[in-house]
Amino acid sequence: MIKVLFFGPVAERVGTNELKVEFHAGMRVQDLRAQLQAQHPAAFEIVCFVAVNGEHTLDMSAALTDNSEVVFMSKFSGG
Amino acid sequence: MADNNKNAVRIQHEDFSQDEEIKALQASSKRMGGIATFLGCARDFSEGRDVSEISFDAYGSMALSEMNKLRAEAITKFGLLDARLVHRIGTVKGGENIVFIAAGAEHRAPALEACHWLIDELKQRVPIWKKEITPQGDSWVTPHP
Repeated sequence: MIKVLFFGPVAERVGTNELKVEFHAGMRVQDLRAQLQAQHPAAFEIVCFVAVNGEHTLDMSAALTDNSEVVFMSKFSGG
Repeated sequence: MADNNKNAVRIQHEDFSQDEEIKALQASSKRMGGIATFLGCARDFSEGRDVSEISFDAYGSMALSEMNKLRAEAITKFGLLDARLVHRIGTVKGGENIVFIAAGAEHRAPALEACHWLIDELKQRVPIWKKEITPQGDSWVTPHP
């Protein structure tokens, strides 16, 4: 399973802070994003950053491993 | 350099004391000749609306890790003797403290530059989001440049 987390405005648009997505071999960040974007298009309109296991990820073709934690995030507004 | 000070970077619900943070920074080195600080506060008015409270959400583990990286980078980049970063989450009322940054160096210039750099980088890199609670409703804040 992939643990997908959402925070702030993205979580509000998805309607939850956490989803579990079935892992399959060869799954890439972009596959996960495409699957979730189809289900939650309004939330993904504001997604700007992706973190995998707590690290910023720019490579959408990066392979995921089972039990990864993936976070789709909008622009930050702390401070 | 007090690089192993575990309390130098924190995310917390409760308020902080600027005096205690500065005291802790000063305690890390007697070579410190300049300390620059930044205090971010909750405004009670924004975009033409009264704001009663600000609510913060954070990806806590990553936010803390990014703040620790920022501190380490600032110490190296500006030759600081030490730095401290504290950010509140949860609900903060108008006029209350949100974020505190203190940078200590042998001289004022690197301390001031580092403090400015740290708050700018924090806003860009640390996964924290703020929502303004107003009598007209709540809205997530769009980041300012």
